[in-house]
Amino acid sequence: MKTKSEIVLLILFISIFMILSVVSQGRFLSFDNLQIMAFQLPELGMITLGMMVVILLAGINLSITATSALSGVITALFLTNIETGNICLLICGAIAVATMFGLLSGLLNGYIIAYIGVTPILATLGAKILFEGISLYLTKGGSISGYPKQFFIFGNGTIFQIPIPLIIFIVFFVITYFLLDRTPWGAKVYSIGSNPIAAKFSGIHVKRISLQVYIYSSLLASIASIIMISRYNSAKAALGQSYLLESIAAAVLGGTKITGGEGSVLGTLLAISIIQIISSGFNMLNVNRFITNAIMGLLLIFVLSVDYLWGMYGQRSSIKATNY
Amino acid sequence: MSRLYQRKEFNILMIIIVISMLIALKNSSFLSVDNLLDLLKNNTVVGILGVGMLLAIITGGIDISVGAITSLATVIVGKALVNYQLNMFFILIVSSIFGIFLGLINGFFISRLKIPPIIVTLGTYNLYGGLNMYFTKGTWITNLPEYFNSFAKIRIIGIPIQIFFLIGVILLTYFILKYTLIGRGIYCIGGNEEAASRVGYNTNNILLFVYAYIGLMSGIAAVVHTTIVRQVAPNAFLTGYELTVIAAVVLGGANILGGEGTPIGTLFGAILLGVINNGLILVRVSTFWQQIIIGIIILFSVSFDVLRNKRIEAKMFKIDVQ
Repeated sequence: MKTKSEIVLLILFISIFMILSVVSQGRFLSFDNLQIMAFQLPELGMITLGMMVVILLAGINLSITATSALSGVITALFLTNIETGNICLLICGAIAVATMFGLLSGLLNGYIIAYIGVTPILATLGAKILFEGISLYLTKGGSISGYPKQFFIFGNGTIFQIPIPLIIFIVFFVITYFLLDRTPWGAKVYSIGSNPIAAKFSGIHVKRISLQVYIYSSLLASIASIIMISRYNSAKAALGQSYLLESIAAAVLGGTKITGGEGSVLGTLLAISIIQIISSGFNMLNVNRFITNAIMGLLLIFVLSVDYLWGMYGQRSSIKATNY
Repeated sequence: MSRLYQRKEFNILMIIIVISMLIALKNSSFLSVDNLLDLLKNNTVVGILGVGMLLAIITGGIDISVGAITSLATVIVGKALVNYQLNMFFILIVSSIFGIFLGLINGFFISRLKIPPIIVTLGTYNLYGGLNMYFTKGTWITNLPEYFNSFAKIRIIGIPIQIFFLIGVILLTYFILKYTLIGRGIYCIGGNEEAASRVGYNTNNILLFVYAYIGLMSGIAAVVHTTIVRQVAPNAFLTGYELTVIAAVVLGGANILGGEGTPIGTLFGAILLGVINNGLILVRVSTFWQQIIIGIIILFSVSFDVLRNKRIEAKMFKIDVQ
């Protein structure tokens, strides 16, 4: 545990987990429920990781769910329209198509933001509307389904009872962790986020690295789309739409500073887990879904208020220390 | 006057005129008075909410919860109309006070606890939206009283009453921003909050005012929206409406980083979105293409704006050197 916000989150996670386990009389801790949660978590998880890396740059990616949806739609079209005897080739092709689109959309966002210099919120808002439009155009407002059987393992398969989507998520979680916390590239991302001008003068290619971050963000979104269309067996323009604001909330709850330069992958994981156990647990306790929404909102404000007050307290004691 | 063409609003106006001309060439009924009045009327809500959002954006903030507040206020309007038969004046007062109250909650967390606006309003968006759907269970209110419907149809010199609300709000905001201490403070905070506070502006209270003002606009927009559709759907503004409002404000020349923007520009931004939406239908572009075109227009206009600013800055730099 490195930072205090991670400790707060861990305490919050453990206490909510224990309360839910006790209150639900064992249903929450049952193997079935844990497995269901493990199936649900990766979608929001992947998108939140994608959102978190751009927030580290003091940016935001409003087009992330639209990227997911469009990449899902294109992949679905590929799967249902290409006829080939070799299923393995088809599925590999589908994954290639999804990642290619992820790269492309990241390139578009990244170029407009880093090289032209448009504020991230605007560029990605425009891209969101554009991608949603293309998805609508391709699907004509309907949904595309009927993929080969083998494709469903990405969303529904298990290895030793562990859901495959969770394994995919863990792989990308570890990759993101290493990229951000264990490589020079990650250090550069943090320093651009905290002060782009200082970063530029210390010899960092601010534009190139920003572009790469947006590409990585879109890449995660397109991987998330594979999990989503495989799990739902359908792709439509509104795919994963509700994850947009949720992912920003999760990233911020996880201690990522919206002004950039600060945040941890571990904290993000804890925040996603907290959101998952609250939504599953409350659902199990028959709490109205909308009340759960309202509680999530309160939780977000509460955690940040605590963070602020804690910061104030720390400042005051440090001022005292210097006075003596 | 000579500097008129250098202003951002002028650019947007030109874009609106060019697009209107193109549409009118394809379908002359676009320029009919009825269609234009309809177009304006249907975009009054975006305009009113946009003017509120503008204030937040000028201070460098944002309000994601604006749609959630408006939705809750429309429910209050509907309930007050059906259950208590309040007259129009009191409906407007109740809706406004309710909006201001919700806005003040946002403002409290933003100005006193210094939580970034995007986070606070994201939280209250979930909170207000969740409470709304829980208490109304999503049921529509349709049987609005007759006196309300006849109010909704009032036209003064042929212009629908809703448009007067929009004009009133814009004049009020223009006055506040241009001629009051609070208004100048709002621009000052957007330029540099630290400096604003050193100069002696009470930045906390100004921020509180800004978010309460957005609440007020949401309350007014709720009434206007109800007069246009004459029924209340609790989730009318819960799905992505805030992003449309932000798009209108930004297309209208406001700087998302703060310190820049005018109510007239926001009005033009809302009209531009309206013209594109309405025009694409009139020239029979498939609805599936519409969003693609709007997305491309947004991307191009913001990129163009940035590139133009860069060129102007480069020029100024040259003068400096000489």
